[in-house]
Amino acid sequence: MIFERSKNGNFRFSRIHPLLGELLQAIALDPWERYPEGSARLLPSPGEAEDLEDLRLDWQDHVQPDLRHHFDLERAVVSDDLAGMIQRLGKAPSWTLEIPPDHTDAWLTTLNALRLALAEEHRFTENDLSETELSDLSTERGLALMQVNFYAFIQECLLQAIEDDSGR
Amino acid sequence: MSEPGLLDAPEADLVESQDLPWLVVVHNDPVNLMSYVAMVFRRIFGWTRERAERHMMEVHTKGRSVVWSGGREQAELYVQQLHSFLLLATLEKSS
Repeated sequence: MIFERSKNGNFRFSRIHPLLGELLQAIALDPWERYPEGSARLLPSPGEAEDLEDLRLDWQDHVQPDLRHHFDLERAVVSDDLAGMIQRLGKAPSWTLEIPPDHTDAWLTTLNALRLALAEEHRFTENDLSETELSDLSTERGLALMQVNFYAFIQECLLQAIEDDSGR
Repeated sequence: MSEPGLLDAPEADLVESQDLPWLVVVHNDPVNLMSYVAMVFRRIFGWTRERAERHMMEVHTKGRSVVWSGGREQAELYVQQLHSFLLLATLEKSS
Protein backbone atom coordinates (compact mmCIF):
# COMPACT_ATOMS: atom_id res chain seq x y z
CA MET A 1 0.00 0.00 0.00
CA ILE A 2 1.25 3.46 -0.88
CA PHE A 3 0.32 6.68 0.92
CA GLU A 4 0.92 9.96 -0.88
CA ARG A 5 -0.54 13.35 -1.73
CA SER A 6 -2.40 13.35 -5.03
CA LYS A 7 -2.18 16.21 -7.51
CA ASN A 8 -5.56 17.55 -6.42
CA GLY A 9 -4.32 17.81 -2.82
CA ASN A 10 -6.18 14.78 -1.50
CA PHE A 11 -4.51 12.15 0.66
CA ARG A 12 -4.33 8.97 -1.38
CA PHE A 13 -3.87 5.35 -0.39
CA SER A 14 -3.24 3.21 -3.45
CA ARG A 15 -2.37 -0.42 -4.19
CA ILE A 16 -4.49 -1.50 -1.25
CA HIS A 17 -4.64 -5.28 -1.00
CA PRO A 18 -8.20 -6.65 -1.38
CA LEU A 19 -8.17 -7.96 2.22
CA LEU A 20 -7.19 -4.53 3.52
CA GLY A 21 -9.80 -3.03 1.20
CA GLU A 22 -12.41 -5.13 3.00
CA LEU A 23 -11.12 -3.93 6.37
CA LEU A 24 -11.42 -0.34 5.14
CA GLN A 25 -15.01 -0.92 4.05
CA ALA A 26 -15.76 -2.17 7.58
CA ILE A 27 -15.02 1.33 8.91
CA ALA A 28 -18.45 2.41 7.67
CA LEU A 29 -20.23 -0.05 9.98
CA ASP A 30 -22.05 1.36 12.99
CA PRO A 31 -19.92 0.47 16.05
CA TRP A 32 -22.99 0.59 18.28
CA GLU A 33 -24.55 -2.20 16.24
CA ARG A 34 -21.38 -4.13 15.49
CA TYR A 35 -19.76 -3.89 18.92
CA PRO A 36 -22.56 -3.31 21.46
CA GLU A 37 -20.32 -3.92 24.50
CA GLY A 38 -17.21 -2.21 23.20
CA SER A 39 -19.02 0.90 22.05
CA ALA A 40 -19.76 1.80 25.69
CA ARG A 41 -16.18 3.12 25.77
CA LEU A 42 -17.12 5.80 23.25
CA LEU A 43 -19.33 7.64 25.73
CA PRO A 44 -17.46 7.72 29.05
CA SER A 45 -18.63 9.22 32.31
CA PRO A 46 -17.52 12.79 33.11
CA GLY A 47 -16.38 11.72 36.60
CA GLU A 48 -16.95 9.24 39.37
CA ALA A 49 -17.10 11.51 42.44
CA GLU A 50 -20.29 11.29 44.50
CA ASP A 51 -21.00 15.00 44.12
CA LEU A 52 -21.05 14.66 40.32
CA GLU A 53 -24.28 12.63 40.19
CA ASP A 54 -26.17 15.57 38.67
CA LEU A 55 -23.49 15.99 36.04
CA ARG A 56 -23.56 12.28 35.17
CA LEU A 57 -27.34 12.46 34.64
CA ASP A 58 -26.96 15.60 32.54
CA TRP A 59 -24.26 13.85 30.53
CA GLN A 60 -26.55 10.87 29.85
CA ASP A 61 -29.50 13.05 28.88
CA HIS A 62 -27.76 15.71 26.78
CA VAL A 63 -24.03 15.39 26.18
CA GLN A 64 -23.82 11.71 25.22
CA PRO A 65 -26.65 11.89 22.64
CA ASP A 66 -24.94 14.94 21.11
CA LEU A 67 -21.60 13.12 21.02
CA ARG A 68 -23.15 10.05 19.44
CA HIS A 69 -24.78 12.25 16.81
CA HIS A 70 -21.40 13.89 16.18
CA PHE A 71 -19.74 10.48 15.74
CA ASP A 72 -22.52 9.38 13.36
CA LEU A 73 -22.03 12.50 11.23
CA GLU A 74 -18.27 11.95 11.07
CA ARG A 75 -18.83 8.31 10.06
CA ALA A 76 -21.17 9.43 7.28
CA VAL A 77 -18.36 11.56 5.80
CA VAL A 78 -16.04 8.56 5.94
CA SER A 79 -18.69 6.31 4.38
CA ASP A 80 -18.98 8.69 1.42
CA ASP A 81 -15.19 8.56 0.87
CA LEU A 82 -15.26 4.78 1.11
CA ALA A 83 -18.08 4.64 -1.45
CA GLY A 84 -15.72 6.42 -3.85
CA MET A 85 -12.96 3.81 -3.55
CA ILE A 86 -11.75 2.60 -6.92
CA GLN A 87 -11.18 -1.09 -7.50
CA ARG A 88 -8.56 -2.24 -9.97
CA LEU A 89 -8.97 -5.74 -11.32
CA GLY A 90 -6.42 -7.98 -13.02
CA LYS A 91 -3.57 -10.17 -11.85
CA ALA A 92 -2.86 -7.94 -8.86
CA PRO A 93 -6.24 -6.53 -7.86
CA SER A 94 -6.19 -3.56 -5.52
CA TRP A 95 -8.14 -0.58 -4.24
CA THR A 96 -7.43 3.14 -4.22
CA LEU A 97 -8.85 5.50 -1.60
CA GLU A 98 -8.75 9.30 -1.67
CA ILE A 99 -9.41 11.45 1.38
CA PRO A 100 -9.93 15.20 0.97
CA PRO A 101 -7.91 17.15 3.58
CA ASP A 102 -11.06 18.64 5.09
CA HIS A 103 -12.32 15.11 5.83
CA THR A 104 -9.25 14.25 7.91
CA ASP A 105 -10.86 14.98 11.28
CA ALA A 106 -13.83 12.77 10.39
CA TRP A 107 -11.43 9.95 9.51
CA LEU A 108 -9.37 10.35 12.67
CA THR A 109 -12.48 10.34 14.86
CA THR A 110 -14.12 7.42 13.08
CA LEU A 111 -10.97 5.30 13.06
CA ASN A 112 -10.41 6.07 16.72
CA ALA A 113 -13.99 5.16 17.63
CA LEU A 114 -13.73 1.86 15.82
CA ARG A 115 -10.33 1.01 17.34
CA LEU A 116 -11.59 1.82 20.84
CA ALA A 117 -14.77 -0.22 20.39
CA LEU A 118 -12.84 -3.18 18.97
CA ALA A 119 -10.25 -3.08 21.75
CA GLU A 120 -12.93 -2.86 24.43
CA GLU A 121 -15.02 -5.62 22.85
CA HIS A 122 -12.03 -7.99 22.78
CA ARG A 123 -10.46 -6.64 25.99
CA PHE A 124 -7.10 -6.04 24.36
CA THR A 125 -4.33 -5.13 26.80
CA GLU A 126 -1.38 -2.82 26.22
CA ASN A 127 0.72 -5.96 25.67
CA ASP A 128 -1.71 -7.25 23.02
CA LEU A 129 -1.57 -3.93 21.20
CA SER A 130 2.21 -3.70 21.26
CA GLU A 131 2.66 -7.27 19.99
CA THR A 132 4.87 -7.23 16.90
CA GLU A 133 4.08 -10.76 15.72
CA LEU A 134 1.30 -11.08 13.16
CA SER A 135 -1.89 -12.08 14.95
CA ASP A 136 -3.68 -15.37 14.22
CA LEU A 137 -6.11 -14.33 11.48
CA SER A 138 -8.03 -17.61 11.75
CA THR A 139 -9.61 -16.33 14.97
CA GLU A 140 -12.03 -13.45 15.42
CA ARG A 141 -9.79 -11.98 18.13
CA GLY A 142 -6.71 -12.18 15.91
CA LEU A 143 -8.51 -10.52 13.04
CA ALA A 144 -9.77 -7.80 15.36
CA LEU A 145 -6.21 -7.13 16.55
CA MET A 146 -5.05 -6.81 12.97
CA GLN A 147 -7.91 -4.37 12.31
CA VAL A 148 -6.93 -2.23 15.31
CA ASN A 149 -3.31 -2.09 14.13
CA PHE A 150 -4.21 -1.45 10.49
CA TYR A 151 -6.52 1.41 11.42
CA ALA A 152 -3.75 2.81 13.65
CA PHE A 153 -1.46 2.82 10.62
CA ILE A 154 -4.03 4.81 8.63
CA GLN A 155 -4.34 7.24 11.53
CA GLU A 156 -0.56 7.64 11.74
CA CYS A 157 -0.36 8.42 8.02
CA LEU A 158 -3.02 11.11 8.32
CA LEU A 159 -1.53 12.58 11.51
CA GLN A 160 1.89 12.78 9.88
CA ALA A 161 0.38 14.47 6.83
CA ILE A 162 -1.34 17.04 9.06
CA GLU A 163 1.95 17.61 10.86
CA ASP A 164 3.75 18.10 7.55
CA ASP A 165 1.09 20.59 6.43
CA SER A 166 1.31 22.61 9.64
CA GLY A 167 5.10 22.79 9.32
CA ARG A 168 4.98 24.31 5.86
CA MET B 1 9.21 25.29 32.24
CA SER B 2 7.20 23.43 34.87
CA GLU B 3 8.07 19.97 36.01
CA PRO B 4 5.86 17.16 34.73
CA GLY B 5 2.95 16.66 37.08
CA LEU B 6 2.62 20.31 37.91
CA LEU B 7 0.07 22.56 36.34
CA ASP B 8 1.51 24.91 33.79
CA ALA B 9 -1.71 26.55 32.73
CA PRO B 10 -1.73 30.21 31.73
CA GLU B 11 -1.49 32.63 34.64
CA ALA B 12 -5.14 33.63 34.34
CA ASP B 13 -6.21 30.02 34.77
CA LEU B 14 -4.15 29.68 37.94
CA VAL B 15 -5.59 32.82 39.49
CA GLU B 16 -9.08 31.58 38.74
CA SER B 17 -8.29 28.16 40.14
CA GLN B 18 -7.67 29.56 43.62
CA ASP B 19 -11.37 30.32 43.90
CA LEU B 20 -12.79 27.61 41.68
CA PRO B 21 -10.74 24.46 42.13
CA TRP B 22 -11.95 22.06 39.46
CA LEU B 23 -9.50 19.92 37.54
CA VAL B 24 -9.76 18.42 34.07
CA VAL B 25 -7.90 15.10 34.14
CA VAL B 26 -6.98 13.00 31.11
CA HIS B 27 -6.44 9.28 31.80
CA ASN B 28 -4.31 6.79 29.94
CA ASP B 29 -5.77 4.16 27.66
CA PRO B 30 -3.83 1.69 25.56
CA VAL B 31 -5.58 2.48 22.28
CA ASN B 32 -5.31 6.21 21.60
CA LEU B 33 -2.14 6.97 19.67
CA MET B 34 0.37 9.24 21.42
CA SER B 35 0.58 11.51 18.38
CA TYR B 36 -3.23 11.75 18.32
CA VAL B 37 -3.43 12.69 22.02
CA ALA B 38 -0.81 15.42 21.54
CA MET B 39 -2.70 16.74 18.50
CA VAL B 40 -5.95 16.90 20.51
CA PHE B 41 -4.24 18.85 23.32
CA ARG B 42 -2.89 21.36 20.82
CA ARG B 43 -6.30 21.74 19.18
CA ILE B 44 -8.32 22.17 22.36
CA PHE B 45 -5.93 24.16 24.55
CA GLY B 46 -3.91 25.89 21.85
CA TRP B 47 -0.68 24.61 23.37
CA THR B 48 2.73 24.46 21.80
CA ARG B 49 3.89 21.09 20.54
CA GLU B 50 6.34 20.80 23.47
CA ARG B 51 3.69 21.42 26.10
CA ALA B 52 1.20 19.08 24.44
CA GLU B 53 3.80 16.32 24.23
CA ARG B 54 4.82 16.84 27.86
CA HIS B 55 1.25 16.28 29.05
CA MET B 56 0.79 13.39 26.62
CA MET B 57 3.89 11.71 28.08
CA GLU B 58 2.60 12.31 31.58
CA VAL B 59 -0.66 10.56 30.67
CA HIS B 60 1.32 7.70 29.17
CA THR B 61 3.83 7.23 31.98
CA LYS B 62 1.84 8.23 35.07
CA GLY B 63 -1.62 7.18 33.91
CA ARG B 64 -3.10 10.67 34.14
CA SER B 65 -2.40 14.33 33.64
CA VAL B 66 -4.17 17.42 34.92
CA VAL B 67 -4.61 19.48 31.78
CA TRP B 68 -6.62 22.40 33.09
CA SER B 69 -7.83 23.91 36.33
CA GLY B 70 -10.46 26.52 36.96
CA GLY B 71 -14.20 27.10 37.05
CA ARG B 72 -16.57 24.15 36.86
CA GLU B 73 -18.53 25.31 33.83
CA GLN B 74 -15.42 25.72 31.70
CA ALA B 75 -14.04 22.44 33.03
CA GLU B 76 -17.22 20.65 31.92
CA LEU B 77 -16.85 22.15 28.46
CA TYR B 78 -13.26 20.95 28.22
CA VAL B 79 -14.26 17.43 29.33
CA GLN B 80 -16.98 17.41 26.68
CA GLN B 81 -14.50 18.55 24.02
CA LEU B 82 -12.01 15.88 25.07
CA HIS B 83 -14.78 13.25 24.91
CA SER B 84 -15.62 14.40 21.39
CA PHE B 85 -12.07 13.36 20.48
CA LEU B 86 -12.62 10.10 22.40
CA LEU B 87 -10.07 10.77 25.13
CA LEU B 88 -10.81 9.48 28.63
CA ALA B 89 -11.27 12.73 30.54
CA THR B 90 -12.91 13.43 33.87
CA LEU B 91 -13.77 16.34 36.10
CA GLU B 92 -12.33 16.31 39.64
CA LYS B 93 -12.54 18.69 42.53
CA SER B 94 -9.12 19.87 43.62
CA SER B 95 -8.21 18.66 47.11
